Amino acid sequence: MSISAMPPCQAACPIYTDVRGYVSAISRGDVETAIGIIRQVNPFPSVCGRICIRACESACRRGQIDEPIAIAALKRFAADQTKDLKSSFKRGPFYNEKVAVIGGGPSGLTAAHDLTLLGYNVTVFEAHKELGGMLSRGIPEYRLPKSAVKTDIDYILSMGIEVKTGMVLGRDFSIDELLKDYQAVFLALGSERSIFPKCKGIEMPGIITAVEFLKQVSEGHRPYLGESVVVVGGGHTAVDAARTCIRLGSHDVTVIYRRTVKEMPAGKGEVDEAEHEGVKFKFLTAPVEFIGNGRVEKVRCVKMQLSHSSGSKRQSFLPVKDSEFDINTDAVILAIGYNPKTDSIEEVEIISGKKGTIVVKDELGTTNIKGVFAGGDVVSGPQSVIHAIASGKKAADAIHRYLRNLPPKEIEEPVVLRPLDERIVSLIIKAVRQKMPMLPTEERIKSFKEVQLGFTWDQAILCAQRCLNCGAGAVISEDCAACFNCVLVCPYGVATAGEEKAQIDISQCQACGICASECPASAIDVKLETREVSRKKLKKAVETAKKEELKDFSINFYCQYEQPTGPSEKKKGTYTVGKPCMARVSVYQLIQPFEEGSKAVEIHKCGHKKDCRFKGCEKWIIEHIERAQKMLKDIGIDADSVKVIYEDDK
Amino acid sequence: MVIAEIKPFEEIKNLLKKYKKILVAGCGSCVTVCLSGGKKQVELLASALRTARKIESDDVVVGEMVIPRQCEPKFVDMIKDEAGKYEVILSMGCGAGVQEIAERIENIPVLPALNTTFIGMADEQGQYLEVCAACGDCILSMTGGICPVTRCAKSLINGPCGGSQGGLCEVSKDNPCVWQLIYDRLVKLNMLYLLKGISQPKTRSVHPRRMVREDLKLKKESTKGV
Repeated sequence: MSISAMPPCQAACPIYTDVRGYVSAISRGDVETAIGIIRQVNPFPSVCGRICIRACESACRRGQIDEPIAIAALKRFAADQTKDLKSSFKRGPFYNEKVAVIGGGPSGLTAAHDLTLLGYNVTVFEAHKELGGMLSRGIPEYRLPKSAVKTDIDYILSMGIEVKTGMVLGRDFSIDELLKDYQAVFLALGSERSIFPKCKGIEMPGIITAVEFLKQVSEGHRPYLGESVVVVGGGHTAVDAARTCIRLGSHDVTVIYRRTVKEMPAGKGEVDEAEHEGVKFKFLTAPVEFIGNGRVEKVRCVKMQLSHSSGSKRQSFLPVKDSEFDINTDAVILAIGYNPKTDSIEEVEIISGKKGTIVVKDELGTTNIKGVFAGGDVVSGPQSVIHAIASGKKAADAIHRYLRNLPPKEIEEPVVLRPLDERIVSLIIKAVRQKMPMLPTEERIKSFKEVQLGFTWDQAILCAQRCLNCGAGAVISEDCAACFNCVLVCPYGVATAGEEKAQIDISQCQACGICASECPASAIDVKLETREVSRKKLKKAVETAKKEELKDFSINFYCQYEQPTGPSEKKKGTYTVGKPCMARVSVYQLIQPFEEGSKAVEIHKCGHKKDCRFKGCEKWIIEHIERAQKMLKDIGIDADSVKVIYEDDK
Repeated sequence: MVIAEIKPFEEIKNLLKKYKKILVAGCGSCVTVCLSGGKKQVELLASALRTARKIESDDVVVGEMVIPRQCEPKFVDMIKDEAGKYEVILSMGCGAGVQEIAERIENIPVLPALNTTFIGMADEQGQYLEVCAACGDCILSMTGGICPVTRCAKSLINGPCGGSQGGLCEVSKDNPCVWQLIYDRLVKLNMLYLLKGISQPKTRSVHPRRMVREDLKLKKESTKGV
């Protein structure tokens, strides 16, 4: 397996976010680094931290052991903790070209963000009063507060992006007109026109689309639809609409969905939350007719069943004969899907697809008009926010290449780390996933307050520490002398003898670093904390000590897994260095501080008396201490100047 | 491989007493593998030397480097410039390494940091066993691949002495009797008949030995028309 293979979480993310990088930063309590890593690719951390579909979590290898890392919750934590942080971004060289972005949703704003960073002058045209697209209008506040959307949008706009709201394409301006002033145009119109089921009575009063309903709520209205409401659909919007009804006082809310919970785009977690709040679900149920006297009174439904017809790979559901039944209701909310609304665009030359989508020529979003690109939901149909962001990023890159006359980007499929072997899984210590703190149900159903409260510092760090740092393990250099000492010491049996040199399978390595500290040729380095980084940290501690001109100073190593943010109390004359496991404090690092004048070197509060993260690390800590003590004795220094201090010893 | 061990620190310190600029040179071959003279040991020894001198308030500059193979003249030539900055070279190579450096770098003294012990192999982590005496007349074909010259305390080449008891050597009970090992191995190989052969006494070689491969020596002039 290639040493540069991508962790599965990163590979699963449509924008290849360096999940391992930011989770690792959070595990050290360093939220500023974390948000920096996230922002490198994603201008919507507060949003994605709350409503992302989390393909990363499904791919997370920790799931092989117990449960995946709560990646989205950690992203939210990093975003929430740094929301007051002053923005710092490096813009590229300034170019004269102007780019128009039509649509201020996640795709358009991401493109605007990336293009601004690249050095272009960008203007965003938004049809509504407010930016954000479906983020502002389609997702209720209890799931995505407006303040979170605002945080991200404010950050993006702070880069210097011009915004023109209330500007509707086809009404207020045309693409042709834009192309006179702008050298490139990005169409990110979104997809907000509801699809109606082909049922009798669909035009009846009392039937409203989820988009319209949620939009009203987002504008501050509180429409009460009646005591009982039926929501048709199985997506996030359907569940959002149902949970919103509960909050608006309807007590009998039923979601009907034609397939089973397994096929539901909203996912089991959201269904559970909704049920918790009192929403009822009827699966394998489809509406056939809306019945009422001047106003909808009942929904005639039919039972569905899985069709076992051969030939088609995709599971299809067909109505069960004579299974019709009625549900009495005061109102119906339709949430079966959306299509883009592109018929108002005057430019006939833009090729439109069947359902109003814009047809693009390639992955980059090139349309049939020179200089005009399209992306986001208007091309793909409704997709998740992260896909919209990915599409915006691709468009920004494509526009940059178009304007600079650069060759198209070569798209390479990433090489992904393979799953953990069962043997390795059995050697990894289990650690439960932190439960997201939630607003109590009684309070939830009465308000639009955010349901998920976000991790506390302790929770975030504990959660981040569960990350296996996939792919950040040991790498062997050309200097390998083939002594195979690593093979003998690896607690996981991952190091093996190769035909010429030792080999470490990066997909299985747990980054404990014991091989690196035992390699006589210093040919092994661990990506999680390289030798260079490790030495720099020690050097910095020693230099600080020397600068303060203390006669007696000591160096204390502490375990970052044990004390992620460092020791709470600082003793005078003591300088601390954190390491990812105390077994990674090499003999050299134990004796080297004495060269600089340190009077003592201590390994503090190592957790190896309790459950430690790495198998067998305690053996190596003792080993290193004993070797260092022997060397000190030889040199003429009291051997006890190097020791482990346990919590109980204090 | 060549097995070597680091000399006691006190001895190394005394060897270097009068020098202020010391280059510690490791070797990337055998002594790295036997954990005595690789990059890691070079760093540790260099740091220890600096600390020890500091305690004595004696200024010192200690440089560090690792030569891929100290017994290779071309590798040694490559460090000449760097070595020129120092008063002494402390070699963490085997005896051959120390001598190769001394041979190539004539104006700087070279001191050994290691005691070269034997030709051997690791029998467990951090433990090595002498297995070849480099006698120059190999009889392993007759002894099931186990060398009695090296591994018998008395270097007997035609069967055990009378002192072997319970498979252990009478000289040191920590060692197995090598003739017992040879016997057991030949039983496994079904080649006990080999023990009927007699090995001729070895002529004690005169040091230094030299091996010449006439077939591989580069000829001084090329022979035309061959």
